[in-house]
Amino acid sequence: MSDHKPIVYKNCEDVPAVVMSEASMLWNKTGAWRYIKPKYCDKVPPCNQGCPAGNDVENFVRLAEEKKYKEAWLSIKEENPFPRVCGRVCYYPCETACNRGQFDRAVSINALERFIGDYVSTDTKIERLQNDSGKKVAVVGSGPAGLTTAYHLARLGHGVHVYEADEKPGGVLRYGIPEYRLPKKVLDEEIQDIINLGVTIDCNKKVGETIQWEALLDFDAVFVATGAHKSRNVGIENEEAQGVMPGLGFLKKVAQGKKVHLGPRTVVVGGGNTAIDAARTAMRLGSQVTIHYYRSRNEIPAFKEEVDEAQKEGVHFDMLSEPVRVLVDGDKATGIEMRRTRLGDPDESGRRRPVSVEGSEYSVDATTIIIAIGEDTDLEYLPSEIQEERGRVIVDAFGATSRPGVFAGGDMAIANHNVAYAIGSGKAAAIAIDAYLKGSHVSDIVAQTTIGEYGAMSMSHYIEAGRAHAKNRYTKSVVSYNDINLNYFEEQERSKQTKLELSERHQNFKEVHQGLSEDQIQNDAQRCFHCGVCTMCDTCYIYCPDIAIEHKGDAAWGYDINFDYCKGCGICVHECPRNAMMMEDE
Amino acid sequence: MKKVLMGNHAASWAVKLADVKMIAAYPITPQTQIVEELSEMCGSGELKAKFLKVESEHSAMASCIAASSAGVRAFTATSANGLALMHELLHWASGARLPLVMVNVNRAMAPGWNIWADQSDSLSQRDTGWLQLYVEDNQEVLDTVLQAYYIAEKVNLPVMVCYDAFFLSHTYEAVDIPEKQAVQDWLPPHARENILNTKDPRAFNGLVMPDVYMEMRYKLQQAHEEAVAVVKEAGESFAKAFDRSYSTIETVYCDDAETVLVTSSSTTSPARLVVEALREKGMKIGLMKVRLFRPFPVDDICQVLSGKKKVVVIDRNISFGKGGIFADEIRGAIANDPQAPIIFGYITGLGGRDITPELVEDIVMEAEKNERPERLALWKGLKS
Ligand SMILES: Cc1cc2nc3c(=O)[nH]c(=O)nc-3n(C[C@H](O)[C@H](O)[C@H](O)COP(=O)(O)OP(=O)(O)OC[C@H]3O[C@@H](n4cnc5c(N)ncnc54)[C@H](O)[C@@H]3O)c2cc1C
Ligand code: SF4
Ligand code: SF4
Repeated sequence: MSDHKPIVYKNCEDVPAVVMSEASMLWNKTGAWRYIKPKYCDKVPPCNQGCPAGNDVENFVRLAEEKKYKEAWLSIKEENPFPRVCGRVCYYPCETACNRGQFDRAVSINALERFIGDYVSTDTKIERLQNDSGKKVAVVGSGPAGLTTAYHLARLGHGVHVYEADEKPGGVLRYGIPEYRLPKKVLDEEIQDIINLGVTIDCNKKVGETIQWEALLDFDAVFVATGAHKSRNVGIENEEAQGVMPGLGFLKKVAQGKKVHLGPRTVVVGGGNTAIDAARTAMRLGSQVTIHYYRSRNEIPAFKEEVDEAQKEGVHFDMLSEPVRVLVDGDKATGIEMRRTRLGDPDESGRRRPVSVEGSEYSVDATTIIIAIGEDTDLEYLPSEIQEERGRVIVDAFGATSRPGVFAGGDMAIANHNVAYAIGSGKAAAIAIDAYLKGSHVSDIVAQTTIGEYGAMSMSHYIEAGRAHAKNRYTKSVVSYNDINLNYFEEQERSKQTKLELSERHQNFKEVHQGLSEDQIQNDAQRCFHCGVCTMCDTCYIYCPDIAIEHKGDAAWGYDINFDYCKGCGICVHECPRNAMMMEDE
Repeated sequence: MKKVLMGNHAASWAVKLADVKMIAAYPITPQTQIVEELSEMCGSGELKAKFLKVESEHSAMASCIAASSAGVRAFTATSANGLALMHELLHWASGARLPLVMVNVNRAMAPGWNIWADQSDSLSQRDTGWLQLYVEDNQEVLDTVLQAYYIAEKVNLPVMVCYDAFFLSHTYEAVDIPEKQAVQDWLPPHARENILNTKDPRAFNGLVMPDVYMEMRYKLQQAHEEAVAVVKEAGESFAKAFDRSYSTIETVYCDDAETVLVTSSSTTSPARLVVEALREKGMKIGLMKVRLFRPFPVDDICQVLSGKKKVVVIDRNISFGKGGIFADEIRGAIANDPQAPIIFGYITGLGGRDITPELVEDIVMEAEKNERPERLALWKGLKS
């Protein structure tokens, strides 16, 4: 500063009209004032934490917003081989977690996923990520869990052989969930992507029957995911009568295209997904349907939207009723005797326990009685050293069983019985198997691959093929609603899917949900806050009072902070609409 | 193109035609419709400007100062208490020599809460260094906002355009809207030196020692003095381009008048009727409308009033403890003229009370009757 000469104005004319320094102020390095500094760091959006399949939701929503549908599809496919299936049948816990839900309504993530999958699909190929490892993995069961593991392992370069007891792959996706919710064509096309990676799906091979467990020991690792298919019995008189059938068995027959004669009146006993799907299927076959469930509508475990659709379609609900015995004429069922229940104290699940009301028996005419009170696993084919508990195989967060090299997932191993969880468990196991085959330890990678607190796994983190800005990701800190700077957002209506007219839902299995149009997709993608993920919206760049935030230039992602001038005021961090920045100590 | 517009929307149209790039505002009745319309114009894309919703008028003015410092045309509008809240920043805008334009819809100051016409709000910002223009009808609103940018950018000073609440703001009149191209030809794009430049960053508005502060103030006053001619020049060139002429003042029948009635803003309209009627009755009366209040066009005013017998000033405002502000300004301007007339200063119409032709005539006749005013501030229309 010693070379600064004082400025002397000689006369009035000399004095400037405006108060402005005569020379550049670049010498004044305001960065010297700083004791904390801003930093760009992507955090976990709650939707990402909420997706059990480990989709990078925020990322695919953003790519969709940019109309980069193929990239969006690839982003999903990196994590999940089934965007089109999930976009139709997932119960979208991502949307329940979506911060936008506390502002107006959640982003239509599920419908977006469907749109992206349907938009791109068949002609685009999924590539293998790694060359042939020479290792071979056996997968038992081709439901969503098994197929997901197969898919990821094939991409990671391993040879995969899938054994499937049924005639075709897909598990519940094929034989449980009806065509009007998940067209078989969609399922087949997504399975084809898996087969295209070189996965062998060996159908009509039931482990424990067609082939024995020992045969699997030739493989370098085994993943089992045989689901839960044994329909439970109620245990009442005449349950074996003609005209009484298990829910899953009924759905499977219909899915296989077999003729099922129901007669004019069908009674469905149960309140889970199988019960609702069976009822809606029976209704489509022309029978009048009543669902009997022993608690009230509040406790019904099936997905609420499905229950509402069933009711709209004309399925009757007789709540607080339990079966007593099947009424028969010879060996043919003619009806069912029911009894009223009332709600007692809550049980361990928090739902109120049904209590029988003695003397309230009444009978209901029926030509068909469908029992859909739940399905159990069948673990008999497993060797005894694999530990089980309450009908489930015991596994760790990555699906490892008590026997080294054997992993398990899906309904047979985890408590949450739904597709996204099955996919997530399949992916976790694929990561663990890959690590096992490479001789590395899962414990070393768990922090890096787990997104948030609920166990969602990220394949892109595992393979470190993340986006350029993924480096700065914080895999644990989840952005809450309060972290969003709401001043930047306005209320905007959520896009609504059209559904098949009620009058068109009889005598056919046409898909009910019809998805969103591209305009609707754009509307909803634009509603996303992008919680915790920088979108290069330029807010920090605009607000920095010291112009210390600079574009990287050449369209490169992100910003540079010029710490010669950043004085650590934190305005950028405060203003960031989505909490993608933070302050840290020098 | 002619359109029937309320005064507020006439202002919005002018802002749009002037290609303003940044509008920051906080709503306040009776101004709100101006910026509401502008926000819609920005929303629809017909006006390509940044519309900033802010949390107070203080912030609105601060944002305009920032935008103007960055070299773009900026605009805001306010009224009464909103203007009062900007007070500190009004000094800042003029001291920094920024060519901002603001509309102030004249509204009474609270308490008691009153949203109606009264000039005390803008007149009490008299000494902030802003130019002030008071306009009479909706056409003049549009034309004056355009001229305000022309003037501001020539003298590097902020300009406030003032008009009466409801009498203009909410009243519909036919307004001739000039063609965009014609406006662009007449009002060239804004270009200025001494703006914020990230490539060559300077420090602005910093400490100024006593050895130069006074010179800078002197230059500000000089700019005001020069602005009188610029206002006239703007009016004349506007007339060439759009066939409507404006100046610092407007006179009617003043040449041979013995008594001159002085008004501003919408009060001028009933005064025109009264002067016309009294002339028909043979009275030697004229009318002077004061359009430019800051800088005060001293020479123009003295030229008209020197040698007259009586001057009757109607003020819809008051400087408490003294009287009507226009009257006082005129007294001050003409004090050293040996032929200074007797000046009657009337206060009326405060807080939106009507100033009817009957009331104006009453004022004129009372002044006519008395040789000298009884006191400095004469009140007309008080409940008896
Ligand atoms: C009717 C119904 C509707 C449902 N609807 C939904 C829904 O809308 N959304 C949702 O998220 N979830 C839904 N679910 C739950 C979801 O389908 C399951 O959680 C999911 O399919 C479990 O996947 P998985 O891979 O573990 O098992 P599964 O899908 O059950 O697949 C297991 C596979 O293993 C095969 N297998 C069994 N034993 C052997 C053996 N010994 N050897 C070889 N192969 C064998 C089976 O044939 C089957 O193909 C529904 C379930 C049912 C029953
Ligand atoms: S799989 Fe389900 S939870 Fe995951 S993003 Fe799709 S809809 Fe949401
Ligand atoms: S607003 Fe977007 S990023 Fe945030 S939770 Fe919802 S979908 Fe995810």
